[in-house]
Amino acid sequence: MLGALSAVRADALLPGREARAAHRSGLGAPTPPSVLEHLEPLLPEVRKPAQYVGGEHNMVTRDWAGADVRWLLCYPDTYEVGQPNQGIQILYEILNGRPTTLAERAYAPWLDLEERMRERGIPTFSLEHHLPLWAFDVFAVTLPHELGHTNLLNLLDLGGVPHRSADRDLADPVVLVGGHAAFNPEPLAPFIDAAVMGDGEEVVLQIDDVMRAAKHDGIDRAALLRALADVEGVYVPSLYEPRYTEDGRLSRTVPVAAGIPTLVPKRTVQDLEQWPYPQRQIVPMTETVHERFSVEIFRGCTRGCRFCQAGMITRPVRERRPETVQRLVEEGVKDTGFEEVGLLSLSSADHSAIAPIARSLGDTYEGTVTSLSLPSTRVDAFNVTLSNELTRNGRRSGLTFAPEAGSERMRAVINKMVSEEDLLRTAEVAFSQGWRHIKLYFMVGLPTETDDDVLAIADLGIAVYRIAHAHGKANKVTLSVGGFVPKPHTPFQWAAQDTPEEINRKLGLIRQRIRTHDGIRVRTNDPEEGVIEGLLARGDRRVADAVERAWRLGARFDGWHEVPTLPLWRQAMAETGVSLDWYSQRERDEDEALPWDHLDSGLEKGWLWEDWQDARTAVQLDDCRWSPCYDCGVCPGLDLVHDTGYQPGALLPVVATPPADLGGASGADLPTSAERYAATTTSVPEVAR
Amino acid sequence: MSARYRVRWTKEGRTRFVSARDQSSIWERAIRRADLPIAYSEGFTPHARVSFPDALPVGVASTGEYAELTFAAPIRADDALARLSATLPEGMDILTYTEVPAGAPKLASLLRATLWELVWPPVDATALTTLLEQRCDTLLAATTHEVVRHRHDGDRTLDVRPAVVSLAVATGPTPDGSGTRTTLRAVLRNDAPLIRPTDLLVALGDGEVAPPHLVRRVAQGVPQDEGLVEALTGVVETVRDDIVAEAA
Repeated sequence: MLGALSAVRADALLPGREARAAHRSGLGAPTPPSVLEHLEPLLPEVRKPAQYVGGEHNMVTRDWAGADVRWLLCYPDTYEVGQPNQGIQILYEILNGRPTTLAERAYAPWLDLEERMRERGIPTFSLEHHLPLWAFDVFAVTLPHELGHTNLLNLLDLGGVPHRSADRDLADPVVLVGGHAAFNPEPLAPFIDAAVMGDGEEVVLQIDDVMRAAKHDGIDRAALLRALADVEGVYVPSLYEPRYTEDGRLSRTVPVAAGIPTLVPKRTVQDLEQWPYPQRQIVPMTETVHERFSVEIFRGCTRGCRFCQAGMITRPVRERRPETVQRLVEEGVKDTGFEEVGLLSLSSADHSAIAPIARSLGDTYEGTVTSLSLPSTRVDAFNVTLSNELTRNGRRSGLTFAPEAGSERMRAVINKMVSEEDLLRTAEVAFSQGWRHIKLYFMVGLPTETDDDVLAIADLGIAVYRIAHAHGKANKVTLSVGGFVPKPHTPFQWAAQDTPEEINRKLGLIRQRIRTHDGIRVRTNDPEEGVIEGLLARGDRRVADAVERAWRLGARFDGWHEVPTLPLWRQAMAETGVSLDWYSQRERDEDEALPWDHLDSGLEKGWLWEDWQDARTAVQLDDCRWSPCYDCGVCPGLDLVHDTGYQPGALLPVVATPPADLGGASGADLPTSAERYAATTTSVPEVAR
Repeated sequence: MSARYRVRWTKEGRTRFVSARDQSSIWERAIRRADLPIAYSEGFTPHARVSFPDALPVGVASTGEYAELTFAAPIRADDALARLSATLPEGMDILTYTEVPAGAPKLASLLRATLWELVWPPVDATALTTLLEQRCDTLLAATTHEVVRHRHDGDRTLDVRPAVVSLAVATGPTPDGSGTRTTLRAVLRNDAPLIRPTDLLVALGDGEVAPPHLVRRVAQGVPQDEGLVEALTGVVETVRDDIVAEAA
């Protein structure tokens, strides 16, 4: 055929290991070959090609030769899912803020592109300059949940990097994971070099320092991993070994090198005001799951929902000041052009100044097309008032509430403190004020659950629907019901998980009961996804063989309906002797060591166990923002304080030892926001220490 | 007082992989960044009043894209549209604009033909140019030429000949001067049935020519002998001149 380029593999893109070294040296290293020229001809043939080209507003392009440490930040899923992730965007901005550090981004190619990349030898690439993964110094992957584990292995392999840590050397990037699922990285232990626990803002800069020094001094890889383990919050799995009892239970995970901490503490940024990121947010050129300018208004949550890993591992609560939120939003909307603003946190209506924040933003954007939204777990009339404030421009379509369980008893077990009366009153207020659709989130498969508890979900939905219908025949109610997956570092970490068959049976009970109510929609997740999630959430290091095998068998995109990977996982478990029953459907007892016991989220294991006992007897626990401390262990254990404005004027003692200046927005010795609230209400901004 | 403007813009480099569906939000956000007083549609979800006459296939480059923008207030067009051009993603640039007087004909009615450019990699340039020249002469001499377009919803037979206004082929140097490559330029009518460069290539290549390295929509306007009159500027773009100049 005339005019055809011969179909050679792009061998220059995956050079031998010796040839890679030159690109990985420090300042002045030659730029590795870009894959763009080889990628472009493939793009018209694949789904959503714009996800692979980068070029978005606010993308940062640094010169390869001008950097001496180079990071590839990755969300191990498609661009459309991963791009909005705030963690990646925060680290991208902080790392690129250093003069001689470069950070680019990578996402997982969809199956259609991966197949073509493998045919032609095109490696995992960055979006900024389309540079190959193998050339970077650090491959830093965020794991917001467990369903990206096989994608992580696949991205390494596709990127020309050995997927096992033991097979990597100085010619390869250091592979780091962070995010919530990194609080139990054991099923990934053989594949990663280190897991970073907790808030990333400060620790990435310390890791960057270690990398720079290591490259400068030319230390070997073992010494580099040892140096990383010396950074607080960095867990290097190869320096620890699990010990098992004769019956196969874990007895302890112990360090096997001198001077390695027996307990790795998580990192916590005490003062969010020092880290007002991300400011220059990426504006995608193609559709993503959340297209908006997002501001995290506080971090942490102490509502104490017993199923919620995020609420447990991100304590204590640290608020951003209302003025800062207002400034970030105004500047961000101007800079990005986004039509929507999201006020993010685990339960945004709980910010101590949310009413003035909402009022002020409502004033700013009244009469414009800019819309405001916030996620909230509160189920009360205040939430409706707040949503009214945020929708002055008239878009009152749907409100979402999360009662999580159907019966009062079940809500006491999970410590979700909302009564049926509250919920019905809230629905009444919402529909009477013009809202047309209420979506309710529930879970089935919770500890101690009976069929009556399950049916109570349907009954609650019917009761809310009666209210909806009374206010308008077209009003709708949606019940969104998921299967519960027990997570590490929560009071439910000892609980047995329901089988997918049992979850399906329970979902059937709900559907059966609401069958006669046409106005109620039920949406459910595929309970089979919970199987993989549950196994990986609480698995130990022995599960890693199943992860590797499942990936070899072709498992990837485990969270996608389009890719049914459970049969591959079942085969992988059978071949590697991993028992799902044993890992997921077995209740643990108090004495059993857990695979994450050596990773310290701040919570006392003894307190978690007490809370688990309280759960089983349906004893509730208050939010410690408004009630006395119940000694979960986080604050004194990590030398931290809650940073909220709940008691303006009162001075909370600052017990934190601030870290050395790491290049944040200002010096380390800033007051917490509680102190600043105090400072604005008194004339003496002096803080008692 | 509202004001309407028409712009000609480019979709080059990475942005040629942006779909028509994503294009609207890219423009809306750029307009907000440039702080222009764009008018909004009424309704539950107001949309900025930016319209695009037709969609470009994903992957195709263009210096001949058009848009019509309606503003809610008068603007200083040169300054405002320069700001917009600067904040659009790299590869999307506004080339020229005109203010639309009341009662002006619809933009789509001015875009009656397209000048396309197909460029091959620097392989077999002389042989390829010769082959394409012969095929072009044959096609132009014919009164009909049917091709089959394969689509997921079934095959369709199309006559490409009525759409062809003019064709030109030449061998020219590659941009870096290291080799020679073949360029085909074609003016095709936009009237139904719409003939795309891919259909034209089926007619010309007949399975013997590899897909081009790059397809570009150069400009759109009113067809005339050997070219077209560009819609916004009235400048004549000829199918042959440019290509010969490039080859020289």
